[in-house]
Amino acid sequence: MTKEIVARLKKIVGKEYVMDKLEDRICYSFDATFRDSCPDVVVKPANTEEIVKVLQLAHQHGIPVTAMGAATGNSGGAVPLGKGICLGLTRLNRILKIDVENRMAIVEPGVITDDFANAVLRTGLLFYPPDPASSKISTIGGNIVECAGGPRGVKYGITRDYVLGLEVVLSDGRVVEVGNQVDGDMCGPDWTMLFVGSEGTLGIVTKMFLRLAERPEAKQTILAVYDRLDDAANTVSTIIKSGTIPTTLEIMDNQTIRVVEDYLKAGLPVEADAVLLIEVDGSKVEVERQKEHVINVCRKCGASDVQVAVTNEDIDRLWLARRSISPACGKVSPTKFAEDTTVPRSKVPEMLRKAREIADKHGIKMLLFGHAGDGNLHPNIMTDRHNHAEMEKVELAVKDLFRAALELGGTLSGEHGIGYMKAPFLKWELGEVGFEAGQKVKAALDPAHLLNPGKMFTA
Amino acid sequence: MKKKNDDQLLQEAREKVSQCDRCGTCLTVCPLFGVQDVEKVSARGKNTITRALAEGGLKPTADVLAAANFCLLCQTCVTNCPNKIKTDEAMINVRQYLMDCTGGASAKYRAVGWMMKNRGMIKFAAGMLSLLRKSGLNRLFPHGMAPEEYTRTHFLTAFAGPAALGQQTVTADVPLTATTKVAYFQGCGMKMMFPEAAAETVEILKTKTQLLVKDNVCCGIPHLAHGLREDFLSLTKENVALYEEADIIVTDCASCGGALKHAASYFTDDPEWKDRVAAFSLKVMDLTEYLVKTGYMPRRKVDATLTYHDPCHLVRGQGVKNQPRELLSATGKFIEMKEADTCCGGAGSFHMDYPDISKKIIEKKQANIEKTGASIVVTGCPGCLIQLNKAAKASGGKFKAMHISQVI
Ligand SMILES: Cc1cc2nc3c(=O)[nH]c(=O)nc-3n(C[C@H](O)[C@H](O)[C@H](O)COP(=O)(O)OP(=O)(O)OC[C@H]3O[C@@H](n4cnc5c(N)ncnc54)[C@H](O)[C@@H]3O)c2cc1C
Ligand code: SF4
Ligand code: SF4
Repeated sequence: MTKEIVARLKKIVGKEYVMDKLEDRICYSFDATFRDSCPDVVVKPANTEEIVKVLQLAHQHGIPVTAMGAATGNSGGAVPLGKGICLGLTRLNRILKIDVENRMAIVEPGVITDDFANAVLRTGLLFYPPDPASSKISTIGGNIVECAGGPRGVKYGITRDYVLGLEVVLSDGRVVEVGNQVDGDMCGPDWTMLFVGSEGTLGIVTKMFLRLAERPEAKQTILAVYDRLDDAANTVSTIIKSGTIPTTLEIMDNQTIRVVEDYLKAGLPVEADAVLLIEVDGSKVEVERQKEHVINVCRKCGASDVQVAVTNEDIDRLWLARRSISPACGKVSPTKFAEDTTVPRSKVPEMLRKAREIADKHGIKMLLFGHAGDGNLHPNIMTDRHNHAEMEKVELAVKDLFRAALELGGTLSGEHGIGYMKAPFLKWELGEVGFEAGQKVKAALDPAHLLNPGKMFTA
Repeated sequence: MKKKNDDQLLQEAREKVSQCDRCGTCLTVCPLFGVQDVEKVSARGKNTITRALAEGGLKPTADVLAAANFCLLCQTCVTNCPNKIKTDEAMINVRQYLMDCTGGASAKYRAVGWMMKNRGMIKFAAGMLSLLRKSGLNRLFPHGMAPEEYTRTHFLTAFAGPAALGQQTVTADVPLTATTKVAYFQGCGMKMMFPEAAAETVEILKTKTQLLVKDNVCCGIPHLAHGLREDFLSLTKENVALYEEADIIVTDCASCGGALKHAASYFTDDPEWKDRVAAFSLKVMDLTEYLVKTGYMPRRKVDATLTYHDPCHLVRGQGVKNQPRELLSATGKFIEMKEADTCCGGAGSFHMDYPDISKKIIEKKQANIEKTGASIVVTGCPGCLIQLNKAAKASGGKFKAMHISQVI
């Protein structure tokens, strides 16, 4: 990176928003994964115009550009493997409009997910459903290009389902608006979806038109306890098949329950082989019906105990258990690999069985939990990345997990994306033809391969 | 105790941050990151810098020292971190290490450190400052030492020192009987800035016990926080010797309490002092801890709405949260404010080094206090009190700031 380019960048975004000292750059060399790669310079533009100019400059000089939101990615998307420019987007943090009448919002990509969700809640009528566990930290932009999901996905879908349109700056600095602010828009192919999940490899998202949902009147939280993991897994598809789509349907296996109980001491049933955390929402009448239905199905499927949370404290206690999985894991072993293998809902029991077999076969510790309701499981492998012998086993186990998911008609990633971590396996999922088509799309939009090199199709 | 060797300091710091898995949970909670969105400000960034220093990827420079100094040591990151990474402790190590490499403490801190070590100096420092001002000599002082406005306040917060060190401490479990010898530890900030409040503390304590009042020296936390570890150690020894006869040591300064309770952890490899300091640390109690434990009833009921600001040192450093609230609820109408435990931005000398940032933080606090409609905001640390006084002034008389001793 020449001095001249740094000077020109400073001219574009202002001196204090260009950082080229080593102590600053190393702080932008990672996300929540393991690899580090130090960018040559960190640039934090304030708006679309500045981004356009930065990309024009980068294009002219062949400098790689990697976008970064809050750097909480779990697949390495924001790690600037190509060095060059790290484009920090957190200054684009305005909520431009919340339109209650048309149930939509216009936001900039750097807004923190929870800040946006809370602003929507304040309307009293609407809410923004995608709820990744990182919502207090992650940016909406990062959510969109990683297509983040969360517990509410069962009923409300994932981030993808809330994107109406986007403003995107292409690699050469030209701006396109894809999709529309109108719900019913369908003019030509759905370009918008091309950018959802694109992880900054196809363009920089600078504005988002998002769909909002109606806020339910009531909700109810239920905990079902099982002596057999299989019974819990069967309950998942039975509930939905027989007429209730819960908001949330989370599963935790015995090892997970124990780890959380060790951490929280909240009186969780440590003897259980699995628990399901189920939430239903809707009108008061509807919630009552759904609750009865869920309780019945759980019992029929072999639940040994079904608890309904009555007070707000009860509800909080149940959710705290779910939310504490991640911190509790931190106490168990130094390194955890959080996978997000996803299978069709009907295959959840089989996938869970296979995951346990894989863990046993390789002799590794694996916690099983996740958004069972939409098949999005989180096998978490607990290990120490400095233990090389064990890491070899972990690598083999991860491959086995991916293979098992694909065999069941599932996918490598339900929500964490591809980044560099899953790029080597992308071909398994897409096949030769699919992969090649992907490469062509990438080449068409970013012929010089400047946007986020080393990820997805260019790993 | 021997001076810790630099490499050891750095490796210790690295060890402290080694389990940071970069999840980012600490970003949005850090009061500084809240006003300056730059990654090196966050705990995640500070941990990265620590690692890079220890692994040799980053050279010890003045800029790196500035990054390590840019921390309130408020422990908010630690409390929220899933892995409980002690970034604040790591920063203290890194500061000490960098101080040693970059040629010792800056003139500013050395001057403050010297005054603090010297008992006589503390006594007339406040007077001396106004003298300096009158004579215009204050211009000779480095920036921040004696600014034009708030002279006393600005200057004195240096004495309160940044946040508590180490993990949350346990409460002293010495049984309190009629024969328990209770002593008062008077912090420099209380002595110089808020003597009226300190006098109230003594009054209150006297209703409970035959109080021992000692001529103690500084708790040493300002020295420690700014890379003058040796001074901290020798001050601690002096205090330990002074309080050997007491069974309980009560302080009305959150920072002193935090420092005294944590002192033991700095002597673990000193065979001569280890046990003595450990015994000393276990005797220390915050005023509110002591009062609640002895069933103190406020001297009078007040017809005022009160709200409370948690000093970092007390809520996170010592786990004291309910006691002040209990006492205040028994005194007047208590209303909890939003983000009561968010750092006020004072943090020892931080507000002198970074006045603009500190101002932004206290402005948020002011808004939260005003929202409660309380007429008095109460706290238990002179450092915070100074910041809160600024907020009170800026609010144009909507509320007053007081030490808890003055209210209960
Ligand atoms: C504790 C924790 C819990 C998590 N829980 C969940 C969960 O429940 N569900 C889930 O789905 N994920 C989860 N994640 C993963 C992560 O939070 C999400 O992937 C999130 O969407 C990333 O947002 P970010 O702002 O941190 O993006 P970053 O990590 O900064 O970036 C992610 C990718 O997006 C690109 N990018 C960012 N902004 C833009 C933009 N405006 N235009 C173009 N490209 C851009 C980057 O180049 C990168 O490739 C979790 C992570 C952590 C650490
Ligand atoms: S919250 Fe803790 S583990 Fe997460 S990035 Fe911050 S310090 Fe590291
Ligand atoms: S101690 Fe406070 S100021 Fe320092 S990094 Fe942690 S949260 Fe931020």
